[in-house]
Amino acid sequence: MSGFAGTLIETDVLVVGAGAGGLIAALSAKRHGGPGTRVTIVDTWMVGRTGHAAFSNAWMVVVEPDDDLEAITREILAGNDWIADQVLVRETLAGSYERLKDFEGLELQFPKDENGRYIRRPTRGLDDTRVLCPVGGGLEFCWRLRRGLEAEGVQILDRIFVTGLMHGRNAGRGGAIVGAVGIHSRTGEFQAIKARATIVCTNAITFRSGFVRDITGTGTLLAYKAGAALRNAEFSYTRPGTPRFYFEGITFAIQEGARFVNAKGERFMQRHEPRWGDEADVPRIARAMAIERQQGNDPLYLDMSGVPEQTREYFIRSKVKWMACFYGKLAKETQTDMFGPTPYYPQNQMTKMGIRTDHTCRSDVPGLLSAGLAQAGAANHFAGFHIGLCIGNGWIAGRSAVEDLDRLAAPALDPQEVRALHHESARVRDDRAEAASDSVLRGLQSLMFAYDVSVWKHASRLESALERLAALEAEFASLRAPHTHELVRLRETEAMLLAAGIILRASLYRTESRLSHFREDCDFRDDANWLCWVDVQDAGGTPRLVKTPVPTPIVSPGDFEQAKVKREVKGAT
Amino acid sequence: MIETIDMPRCTGCGICDWVCPADVIHMTPAAAAAEVPGLTPRALLPVIMFREHCITCFSCEIFCPEKIIDVHPVVKNRPRAW
Repeated sequence: MSGFAGTLIETDVLVVGAGAGGLIAALSAKRHGGPGTRVTIVDTWMVGRTGHAAFSNAWMVVVEPDDDLEAITREILAGNDWIADQVLVRETLAGSYERLKDFEGLELQFPKDENGRYIRRPTRGLDDTRVLCPVGGGLEFCWRLRRGLEAEGVQILDRIFVTGLMHGRNAGRGGAIVGAVGIHSRTGEFQAIKARATIVCTNAITFRSGFVRDITGTGTLLAYKAGAALRNAEFSYTRPGTPRFYFEGITFAIQEGARFVNAKGERFMQRHEPRWGDEADVPRIARAMAIERQQGNDPLYLDMSGVPEQTREYFIRSKVKWMACFYGKLAKETQTDMFGPTPYYPQNQMTKMGIRTDHTCRSDVPGLLSAGLAQAGAANHFAGFHIGLCIGNGWIAGRSAVEDLDRLAAPALDPQEVRALHHESARVRDDRAEAASDSVLRGLQSLMFAYDVSVWKHASRLESALERLAALEAEFASLRAPHTHELVRLRETEAMLLAAGIILRASLYRTESRLSHFREDCDFRDDANWLCWVDVQDAGGTPRLVKTPVPTPIVSPGDFEQAKVKREVKGAT
Repeated sequence: MIETIDMPRCTGCGICDWVCPADVIHMTPAAAAAEVPGLTPRALLPVIMFREHCITCFSCEIFCPEKIIDVHPVVKNRPRAW
């Protein structure tokens, strides 16, 4: 094999991905391991300036000491339709106040009232849970964490795109992971990073939708190829949004008076979700919109005219920096009135497929852990629980990785494997080729986002989508990359194609409706048969699906009564 | 999507390249005016290399110290459920 060259880096704990989960995992590993523990974090782009958290408000669930931890745990588990690791969720919530104090130690500020109490808000679809966000939102949150990591001696490697996990001399696919390989995302230079423990925190597959389209979730699929099981592939976060621009903060806009209406001017959410109305959880809104579409009641709108004048000003000013740019320009350049009826559609799809781990964030493969949304700890992420869970499982994963350092054998690389991964990392590079992955990507988006495949599913439509996916895979096989930018995109598209097949198969497999998985041909929840995870493992190139019962050590569906909503919900009847 | 960088006012600091999470802007060698006859100056200046992959996150505009980058808020080619 000619042209083999690159850089070898050694570390103890390698964190792949620098969103909220990865940043916290690195901080946790360093703090649990102490100064002598080598911790390295890599990201395809700039650590602290990328990931979903950086472009959000960074709303996070925080359970204060005088809150009812058990009540909050129960409603979050119930809101996950019981598809959650109960122990992990409770530990995440129980540690949230301590993490808040950690963040303040990194000079992050959180708004307080005149009595010194944190200013928190309720979140959609939950009664007792409260969320808050730092001053400066996600950009400030991620940057302060980067600075904190630098100060504590974590090695930060920007612009490393990980393309494979190494088993080293641990023979067989069940052997321990001994680090990762990748390429510099600008120069294409090959990098091998030898580590005793590797934490994958590369978020979920998004098919490049949504407002953070650099999130592509490739690490999850690398773990799958390395022998880890995936779960929750049939669930997604299909978030409604505006077709022409981004709008963050819908949860709180609705609390301030925004309404969903259809072409007839009807407030359709009241019909579909009488309990929560417009404040229903995101998957339920997506389902209602899909059915409205099927019934011919399109176009659908978010009508912001009900947001009071005095609140509008606060609403706009309180947004993070990029939202300020967005609002400032909308009026000037697009003459769009945000506070009128704006077309709204289900469109922003973040899948919930993640790596199966136990509640300590260890996967089935020794040396491989997972955190952030790459870890399948829960299938529903309410506003604030997205980042809340990432903070919790990141902290736990970092601690577990350090605990494993003495247990795992010293890693030993296999030169033959490294050379093979090097070859694989650049296999599709061809300077004379046309960059054409966008064509396959658009085909994939059109396939996976169709409302009657992604939101309102049916066995016949899922099977048809699998056939169309095979055609896209054939088209993809001939593509080559003329430069590193396209090489990264090709590898990301390859992961998305693999993910699509798993998602469609898992959606066919679960013959009931639950959480964000809605089957038109099985429109009922079936706890007797489906209080289970669907776990997927690679069996010689074909996904093998199995049911794993969800343990309910804290609360089970029968124990949880559908209590009346405690607070006033403006969107309900 | 990123529209323009006001190049005459650009100092070549490279922050826009670093903060872009979509690899859209690349600092690229560019010819500069000769100050000393016989010496050919080289400078790194930003080039919008992959405009179609801009994710409209406004990072370049927000972090540009000279405030010379303009991102348009309307997003094109956004996938929809119908």
